[in-house]
Amino acid sequence: MKLLALITSLLYLIPTAPAASYTDKFKQYQSLSRLAPIQLDDLSYDDITSKPRDYFATVILTATEARFGCVLCRDFQPEYDLIARSWNRGTKPDDLRVLFGILDFRNGKAAFQKLMLQTAPVLLVFPPTVGPYARVDDSPLRFDFSGPISADQVYAWISRQLPDGPKPPLVRPIKYMRIVSGITILMAVVTLFTVLSPYVLPVVRNRNLWAAFSLIAVLLFTSGHMFNHIRKVPYVVGDGRGGISYFAGGFSNQFGMETQIVAAIYAVLSFSAIALAMKVPRIADNKSQQVAVVIWGAVLLGTYSFLLSVFRAKNGGYPFFLPPF
Amino acid sequence: MAESPVDVLLKGSSGRSARGLLRIIILVTIAAAAVSSRLFSVIRFESIIHEFDPWFNFRATKYLVQNGFYDFWDWFDDRTWHPLGRVTGGTLYPGLMVTSGVIYHVLRFLTLPVDIRNICVLLAPGFSGLTAFAMYLLTNEMSSSPSAGLLAAAFMGITPGYISRSVAGSYDNEAIAIFLLVFTFFLWIKAVKNGSIMWGALAALFYGYMVSAWGGYVFITNLIPLHVFVLLCMGRYSSRLYISYTTWYALGTLASMQIPFVGFLPIRNSDHMSALGVFGLLQLVAFAEFVRSFIPGKQFQRLLTASIILTTGLAFAGLVVLSMSGVIAPWSGRFYSLWDTGYAKIHIPIIASVSEHQPTAWPSFFFDLNFLIWLFPAGVYICFRDLKDEHVFVIIYAVLASYFAGVMVRLMLTLTPIVCVAAALVLSYILDTYLKTSPGPVTRGRSNDESSEGLRSARSPEVGITSYFSKAVTTSAAIVYLLLFVAHCTWVTSNAYSSPSVVLASRMPDGSQFIIDDYREAYYWLRQNTPANSKIMSWWDYGYQIGGMADRPTLVDNNTWNNTHIATVGKAMSSREEVSYPILRQHDVDYVLVVFGGLLGYSGDDINKFLWMVRIAEGIWPDQVKERDFFTPRGEYRVDDQATPTMRNSLMYKMSYHNFNKLFPMGQATDRVRGAKLPAEGPQLSTLEEAFTSENWIIRIYKVKDLDNLGRDHSNAVAFDRGNKRKKASKKKGPRVLRSE
Repeated sequence: MKLLALITSLLYLIPTAPAASYTDKFKQYQSLSRLAPIQLDDLSYDDITSKPRDYFATVILTATEARFGCVLCRDFQPEYDLIARSWNRGTKPDDLRVLFGILDFRNGKAAFQKLMLQTAPVLLVFPPTVGPYARVDDSPLRFDFSGPISADQVYAWISRQLPDGPKPPLVRPIKYMRIVSGITILMAVVTLFTVLSPYVLPVVRNRNLWAAFSLIAVLLFTSGHMFNHIRKVPYVVGDGRGGISYFAGGFSNQFGMETQIVAAIYAVLSFSAIALAMKVPRIADNKSQQVAVVIWGAVLLGTYSFLLSVFRAKNGGYPFFLPPF
Repeated sequence: MAESPVDVLLKGSSGRSARGLLRIIILVTIAAAAVSSRLFSVIRFESIIHEFDPWFNFRATKYLVQNGFYDFWDWFDDRTWHPLGRVTGGTLYPGLMVTSGVIYHVLRFLTLPVDIRNICVLLAPGFSGLTAFAMYLLTNEMSSSPSAGLLAAAFMGITPGYISRSVAGSYDNEAIAIFLLVFTFFLWIKAVKNGSIMWGALAALFYGYMVSAWGGYVFITNLIPLHVFVLLCMGRYSSRLYISYTTWYALGTLASMQIPFVGFLPIRNSDHMSALGVFGLLQLVAFAEFVRSFIPGKQFQRLLTASIILTTGLAFAGLVVLSMSGVIAPWSGRFYSLWDTGYAKIHIPIIASVSEHQPTAWPSFFFDLNFLIWLFPAGVYICFRDLKDEHVFVIIYAVLASYFAGVMVRLMLTLTPIVCVAAALVLSYILDTYLKTSPGPVTRGRSNDESSEGLRSARSPEVGITSYFSKAVTTSAAIVYLLLFVAHCTWVTSNAYSSPSVVLASRMPDGSQFIIDDYREAYYWLRQNTPANSKIMSWWDYGYQIGGMADRPTLVDNNTWNNTHIATVGKAMSSREEVSYPILRQHDVDYVLVVFGGLLGYSGDDINKFLWMVRIAEGIWPDQVKERDFFTPRGEYRVDDQATPTMRNSLMYKMSYHNFNKLFPMGQATDRVRGAKLPAEGPQLSTLEEAFTSENWIIRIYKVKDLDNLGRDHSNAVAFDRGNKRKKASKKKGPRVLRSE
């Protein structure tokens, strides 16, 4: 930190030196951090973006400290690191100079105020003012974050701001940890399975288990669970009078709870059909068999009628119904 | 008890033939019901091709009939995707067109001069009759009960889930594909049951036909290997399985590669790799079984098992490496988006934009399948009772297809057959149980002694139903539900699925029918009033219809193979006139067509689709088109005086609302779709001029102006014509140039 402060103060002196030294500015900043993005503060930010510059300066203004509660900033931090590292490590044209810097709010309150930033993070790209890629319009280009975003998208945007030509590709480091742990877990599972197979196999081969599993899957999917998952519908919604409305209005709308109710209705109907088909003919006693038939038949009728009434509420103009509801 | 005449008919050998005859009569009746319930639209409107894609199929069929098969194979269509053109012969599934072409020529040969349009219109109902028959065969393989097949055929014939894609006039690939799907599955089950090369080869043959007809063949390509794989995992390897699968795979893959559009995909695409992998696995397992039969020795067998697992693992790793290195193409986008449901929305907005690719809410399931939807899980459960090879197939199919149908509305179509099978299984089981006349123990029920294996509910022996009351109650309830099902299907078909969507129908306040025929009016205007070579730009939804009905070249159509070209149209629609005009000029556009429902309250119009145009354009030009600019700061999508400047200056907005306010008294213009009051001052168009507006304003056609004779730009020329004083040049910020990119 001390060293950084020293260099910063040194840098502070440089602008007072003749303007011809702007070519050194790039080298100096580059030497600060060979791969990772440069940590900036107010002074160095002003310096790095000061006017005679023969490089692109890419600066992210962010607030990573926990007390600001900027999840986006913290999530994007490693991604930005990745961009800077990929760029600095990769091969690129000699005269295409790009600096990657980070200005944290902790170090750069003045810069945030100057730019009148209300939100973070913000990515700025300052085009060069001199040199082969100098632009007439040297005002910074701004990238606004509207949600979680990956390094690839941001890197694509940065690349578009840079002049055409070859650029280093974005390289994600190989996660050896993950590979090793994956293999370990796989081997552990295989070992466990081999050891436990006398106990596990009967369970795996249990027909009832698989039947339950398939039925649950079918009920889940046919009651519109995937719709909830994709559209991220609310679980329940108030009806405006303090109560809950269980069923969404409209044919192609639904709530999370609604689908669970519907799945339960389907389940009841299916199980009464199964009971009528398979359980009842196996009851040996005449009387109890008849009672069972009547009960299951009534359950079937009542639930189906309820289902129809729910469907009628969703789909106005549906003409059919069954007696109870 | 004296023998009644009915008993003579139903017992003994004459009874068998009588039942056979009855069965045929019932099947013919079901087929007739299936065909006739699909004719609502023909009766109500006329014999007309529906919707969008059918118009292309119809056009292609006409080309095939006129120019012969080989010309069709080499067809390069220069009237679509102007200026690129489309190698149509190599980029379509020809099964549908060839089928109707063959029917046409056969009828000709029989000296029945039928118009090709009528064949196209009636192909789908005709094949639905065949589907019902195929369904009968398939379900009969699953159940010993003679009624299950008939019930399944009846369900399949009238269930709205299938009718939705096969009404008369809906001349789409699915029209024949569902028949082929069901029939291929029947042949496959037959092959597995008998272990016969003949059935396997037949399955491959129909699989090849299916590949030529519909892209959904990938479903079969993955389902059959999955069936085999699960059977292997269950330790049910048999020579029957080996024979049927290897026959099917080898012949089926060869057959599928004969279609130019498919070509080498079966060996180079991840979608097909599971079939190849299971083929390899099956060889290994067969080899192991073979060796095992010669060498006893427990140690050696263990070694063998281990080596097989190792080889499989290595092969899998090889597959992964090959697909990583790009030899095997990755999952195709459409297929991939089924698994990663968020994928399409981020990466391929054009797929996500199609309404039939949306996820399915539960009312759709009930709407399309009615009471079958709750018989379906019960039927799957019944399959666990015997759990023969074919029942495993039903279970896998049921779980997979219900997942797919939940993710995408259109895949309800692949779910419907299995729902019909499962529901018929359980219902026939119930009816058989409760309709048996002789009370007392029934011989049919297997008394389960392998109690650890069987289902919990099937352990005790079956005794049958003893009281007549129970029988009467259950049977009459079943009949009520069945009648309700029929009523539901008829109602749904008549109300929801019989609209050609080219011709719209609505009710007047007095109850009489009001036909809205704007589409055809506009397309015929184009056909009769524009030069045969004038290029029409519209959003891609209408490309096929313009090609089919107006016979004019289009820029983009429903084939959507070139996202950039579609994005170009999206950009032209969503940009300012100054930006759009050069794009229109560069693409030789003569007319621009927009669909506008604001006057009538027709919600499927272009302003409602507009955000997709913006999104797709933004995908290619993120710096020039931004979705955010079309939303107000409060995040609303508005068209009234609160609309953002970008929205109000976009070409689409201007074309939609051009002169709209003149229909209403001052300041009263209202958009009935979005329920918004429009600003008193309407938008001004300078580079386009209105050429035609249909009766109900649904279709509006604009002519692209030529360059100005005096070299002015169009806004100046229009301002001059209107008599406005020319603005001082100094007021402009800079020299105005025609932007060309």
